[in-house]
Amino acid sequence: MRKDRPFLEIFTYALDEDYRFPILEIFAFLFALGTFVFVDLGAYSGQTKEALAYSLVSTLCGYPLLFIFVVLILKNVAYGLGSDLDRGVMQTLFSYPLKRRYILTARLLSGLGVALLLFFGIQIFGLFLLAPDVILTYPSTVFLTYAAQLCSPVLLLAGLVLFFTLRLKRGGLALVIGVVLFLAGLIVSGFVTSIAYGTGSDLSLKIWAVINPNSALQRYYMGTSGFLFGGESWVPSFSELLLYLGAGYLIVAVLFIVGYIYFDRRLEI
Amino acid sequence: MSLILVDDLAKSYGRVVAVDGLSLRVEEGSIMGLIGPNGAGKTTTIKIILGLLKPNRGFVRVFDEEPWDNPDIKPKIGVIYERAFFPSRHKVFDYLKRVCRIFGKPESRAREVLALTRLEDAHDRSVKALSAGMLQKFAVAHALIKEPRLIIADEPTSNLDPEARGELLDLILKLRRDENVTFLISSHILPELSRVCESVAIINKGKVWAAGSLTELSEKLGARTMRISTDNPEALGELIRKLEYVSRVEIDGRGVSVGVVGGEDERLYEDVPRLAKKAEAKIVGIETGTASLEELFRLAVKSGQGEERR
Repeated sequence: MRKDRPFLEIFTYALDEDYRFPILEIFAFLFALGTFVFVDLGAYSGQTKEALAYSLVSTLCGYPLLFIFVVLILKNVAYGLGSDLDRGVMQTLFSYPLKRRYILTARLLSGLGVALLLFFGIQIFGLFLLAPDVILTYPSTVFLTYAAQLCSPVLLLAGLVLFFTLRLKRGGLALVIGVVLFLAGLIVSGFVTSIAYGTGSDLSLKIWAVINPNSALQRYYMGTSGFLFGGESWVPSFSELLLYLGAGYLIVAVLFIVGYIYFDRRLEI
Repeated sequence: MSLILVDDLAKSYGRVVAVDGLSLRVEEGSIMGLIGPNGAGKTTTIKIILGLLKPNRGFVRVFDEEPWDNPDIKPKIGVIYERAFFPSRHKVFDYLKRVCRIFGKPESRAREVLALTRLEDAHDRSVKALSAGMLQKFAVAHALIKEPRLIIADEPTSNLDPEARGELLDLILKLRRDENVTFLISSHILPELSRVCESVAIINKGKVWAAGSLTELSEKLGARTMRISTDNPEALGELIRKLEYVSRVEIDGRGVSVGVVGGEDERLYEDVPRLAKKAEAKIVGIETGTASLEELFRLAVKSGQGEERR
């Protein structure tokens, strides 16, 4: 018996379940197409080339599209995995000759990995069509922007929702928690700036940058939009930026490791 | 050789104790029944044996190995759950083909198990369109694909009609006879269990209350069935019902069937003439027999209630 066969079969089963009715994917594709067609490159004319690269990528993977993909990923992770647990299909999957961690990997590869491939496929394709020089001249800026967007909210929420799904064994509830956390993140990001302004300290901004490295990236490339704290505005250096991004990914890694350990050693069904 | 070895198993869900010091042994080639009232700990025990739950205490070995997250033993174990759980969007044959590929079996095996379980007509039907009975048959087909050496079944006949039940029991006996497949079957349908099982473990309050063959259990527990033929079964039956060592009284037109516990059949022999006199009944004859599985089950339930009262 080939060892990779059960993994591939569970992966294809998961693909079947996750992408049978690709309504969200079609919606995301149409929205991305619209963004690429109607984006106004002239709006970025006053910026440095690097800032322009950042702005363009941020616009292309901006909130409506990101929200669609976040919902798609949360649906796959929470609802897909959750309903396998809820409906008892996981009991059947556990009767196949595969370690638990590989079952989870197959499920996540479909729910998360393939969704991200779709997302980045659309993005890179659009970016190449729209502004190939941006990718070729500033690949590191493009990479960092995508890395930050991917870290938070996408992977951070996916890690949290994975844990909630495994703990609660209810996909629907975990999905709702994920969407609430996403919206809460949007609200908190607004509060963080107000707190920094009110206290005259940039501590809240720095803490938020750990959870959401994109906010540090925005400050690095775009400046502080006129907010002053004791006469000085907080703009991270490039090395600090990398540290914030690293810290963000560390949190994501911890969440996924906790999810895997729980699935491997503690999950009872 | 013991395919399943369980010793001093304990499992709690919060404050609820599901299994408490349970020990069990299933020998290769045997068919063992697991019976007990609702909440006795049967499903929890089965889930621990299948590596779906972790015990709080105790020792579990299946094929001499720890069952938790152990892919090596999976090809040897077929599982049939009371409620079958399958990805519902697949077609019956497509899903069985997938399972064949998982276990490295040829596609023809999927056709074989469909024929064995008489599901050929459902070949192209979606799993979610199957009736409860057909889904149960599908679960049996799914369990058989890998040609397991051990089949663990939790209420395998619960959704089946009488004909399908009979067919499944025949299949169990055939697999045991022709391929030396070992079975551990949990069921509430006791006449069926007594038809196929060579030994039984009666579970109550999370413990094995008694285990062995039906004859052994009858001997060990002193449980007997007595049939008293009389011309006034109603009156005699009512008086016998009041005896503390009687577990069951069934009255019909010609006599009284009595379940006796704890080796008290001699006492009943002594009490019957006195009670018959009181009931103005004439005794035609008394026959003694081995207790049925149902009798033993009742005993277990009664003993559990006794513990509760204490």
